[in-house]
Amino acid sequence: MAQPIMQLRGVSKSFGMTHALTDLSLDLYPGEVHALVGENGAGKSTMIKIMTGVYQPTAGDIHVDGGVRKIQGPQAARDLGVAAIYQEPMVFPDLDVTENIFISARSEGLFRRPARQARKARDLIARIGMETDVDQVASGLTLAEQQAVEIARALSEDVRVLIMDEPTASLSAHEATRLRGIARSLAAEGVAVVYISHRLEEIFEIADRVTVIRDGSHISTRDIAEVTPDGMIAEMVGRDVGNYLNKAPSTAQDEVALQITNLTQSGVFEDIDFTLHRGEVICMAGLVGARRTDVALSIFGVEPATSGTIRVFGQDHQITHPRQAMDAGIAYVSEDRRKLGLAMPMPIRANISVATLGGFLNRWGILNQDAEREVAENYRTRLNIRTPDVEIPVGTLSGGNQQKVMLAKWLNMNPEILIFDEPTRGIDVGAKAEVHDLIREFAAAGGAAIVISSDLPEVLALGDRILVMREGQQMGLLTAQEATQERIMVLATGQAETMEAS
Amino acid sequence: MLRILDKLNPQALRILALLLVVVAVLVFFSLVVPNYLNGRLFNRISSSVAIMALLATAQTLVIITRNIDLSIGSTIGFVAFATGSLITNNPDLGPVILVAYAMGLGAMFGAINGALVAFAKVPSIIVTLGTLALFRSALVEYSDSKSISTANLPEWLVSFPNTVLWQWGQMQFRAAFVAAVLVVILVHIALTRLRAARKLYAIGSNPEAAEMAGINTRKTVFVAFVLAGALAGLGGFMFLARFGTITVVAGLGLELKSVAASVVGGVNIFGGSGTVIGALLGAVLVDLIDTSLVRWQLVSEFWREAVLGVLILLSVATDALLMRRLMAARQAREHRKAEAKIAQELASTNRGGAE
Repeated sequence: MAQPIMQLRGVSKSFGMTHALTDLSLDLYPGEVHALVGENGAGKSTMIKIMTGVYQPTAGDIHVDGGVRKIQGPQAARDLGVAAIYQEPMVFPDLDVTENIFISARSEGLFRRPARQARKARDLIARIGMETDVDQVASGLTLAEQQAVEIARALSEDVRVLIMDEPTASLSAHEATRLRGIARSLAAEGVAVVYISHRLEEIFEIADRVTVIRDGSHISTRDIAEVTPDGMIAEMVGRDVGNYLNKAPSTAQDEVALQITNLTQSGVFEDIDFTLHRGEVICMAGLVGARRTDVALSIFGVEPATSGTIRVFGQDHQITHPRQAMDAGIAYVSEDRRKLGLAMPMPIRANISVATLGGFLNRWGILNQDAEREVAENYRTRLNIRTPDVEIPVGTLSGGNQQKVMLAKWLNMNPEILIFDEPTRGIDVGAKAEVHDLIREFAAAGGAAIVISSDLPEVLALGDRILVMREGQQMGLLTAQEATQERIMVLATGQAETMEAS
Repeated sequence: MLRILDKLNPQALRILALLLVVVAVLVFFSLVVPNYLNGRLFNRISSSVAIMALLATAQTLVIITRNIDLSIGSTIGFVAFATGSLITNNPDLGPVILVAYAMGLGAMFGAINGALVAFAKVPSIIVTLGTLALFRSALVEYSDSKSISTANLPEWLVSFPNTVLWQWGQMQFRAAFVAAVLVVILVHIALTRLRAARKLYAIGSNPEAAEMAGINTRKTVFVAFVLAGALAGLGGFMFLARFGTITVVAGLGLELKSVAASVVGGVNIFGGSGTVIGALLGAVLVDLIDTSLVRWQLVSEFWREAVLGVLILLSVATDALLMRRLMAARQAREHRKAEAKIAQELASTNRGGAE
């Protein structure tokens, strides 16, 4: 085999008392797609940050082309040809595509040459098979396009090691396929691609080798041919998770919890109509842009509907503010943990209590921190939130654990009706199974749940009934028995009419 | 109509909108104030904008990087006084040395702000709130409760701002105004054409991404503060030349006016976007409204500030609303295009699968 481009040799990294990485070694060869898998919090992000010069290892070396190198910062990493793209793309929303690509280019002289750069930008975008307008401002781009911009930025500087950190987590199936194609073709050109993903099927599709890490330690590195999905999951989790994608029996009762009639928000969605029972889980499926989140937000009172009725346990409710929804027993666990869900710099304790602060006041109206801490500790054990302490900022937790804090916050309200928006996006298999169990427990205890998810196997596993939306229209409400991946996709893409016609 | 607006970039759109508002204000006051539209109005406003334009430009440089400089009024006061006392004691110094001294002094103040913000990582609003008071106290100490008076300044300095370069009817294009506009244009070209200037926007737009993209964010922010300080120093020189009499309260409150001018001029207070041409127009608009209100009998002096405040709020709110509408409309159209494409591709793959 050729000489590795980059090698990590016994790399460790600690933050105070926490050991994020312990004695980790890894070889990256030109032309390979090297998948890196592990649960959230296993140390993948720390490893990327060490490879891109954001962190310095506490022990161990990095070799590039056989020689020891210290990577002093992101610019030094780029000079060595190491670039990374992230699940949430690092673009500059106010700059146009060309400027985004060449922002840190060095060989471009004192003055900008917009025409020449635009031409080069178009070439780069074309090389990865996209057709984005390079004069467009980045804030108007889709996630997939923003990632393309990041890849183009890496290509503009002769990338040799490209790290892709869950690049497909927020993409539609179609866009994800295209992105994997780009990764493969870059590898064919001799780039070492490090590919991190929680979608196992994706890893079997593109990876040459797979490295599993757990709790900051290297577990195994194997050729893809020697790996089985079950074996890989067992190594990642350190235990057997069982098949969490099997449909659990319904716990639906007769009592109607939520009745939505002709709910409309003009210009956004119209005539949404369904009944949710106690103990039932309804999944909302659809493509990105199907307006599922908008329906959820209007039930929760963030963007009130313009017409239609919301009945909660037989009573009409005018919900124009989240407070009213919460009083009616409705809670909403948002998709965007960063923007709508969690106060990242605040401790776990404060994040869990924030929606139910009234319950933590003592008789003089002063916040009782001990009570807060007790509740937070309680959820930490119940939801298996991996943290040494509930006083640390939520922002320092991994994605899966942040998601659990979000759930704790809303579960603490004891809601009757819980709306989950993409509850397992970007979290690992182990945490996914735990979140599924939590949702089922909630339903089995008499709660009613709506789960918005773009993950079809998840929709089929969780939903007692499945509501499919497309462009603000309710396309159908399938029972678990009649739902298949194909049927959902046909409804979600609006192919139903054409299929019947042909 | 929408389609044409669609083609223009948002910044050009903002400048167009500002020009419209300036025209609207002119029309309104010419209806309520007799003998309003004349050359004297232009001369008065252009004279005071000469200083504000420089300050708004300085402020814009800093705001673009998602920071703010509240010490700018104190900087201008100190520089005006120090430059005044330098020329009073050495009447033979030429203009070049004097301007260099003013800008150098301003840059030094900027460097103090910049170092604290960029390297000590203290939020700029706190740093400059501190230096706002600090620089002012330094001026009080330095001046020893004396003041600079016009009588001690050389003739060339005092006459410079009012030198008429050319005249068009009653409208006089005076040296200070022309110089300020030239500086604004120069900075505008630098901001739009220099590659390094994009880094200012990048940092304001997404600081984390800027760091990841290998931009030296600390150095860039520091440089922005130093440049802003130098521009404020130039403003101090102009202040001295225009008013001649400088006391310890010189430039008091100009920091907020410079922020107002920038924001009215479409500079995003959260960084990442804005032009200095916009800031110049913002300065013109604020000054125009201020000056015109003085002549409007209906509004007493007491209410002038309030009316000005309301107008600033209105202009910013309208701007934000309009921009959001336009952007949403544009995004919706692009979204529909993308959806159509996905549907098309899906349809073709489905057909492929069926065969």
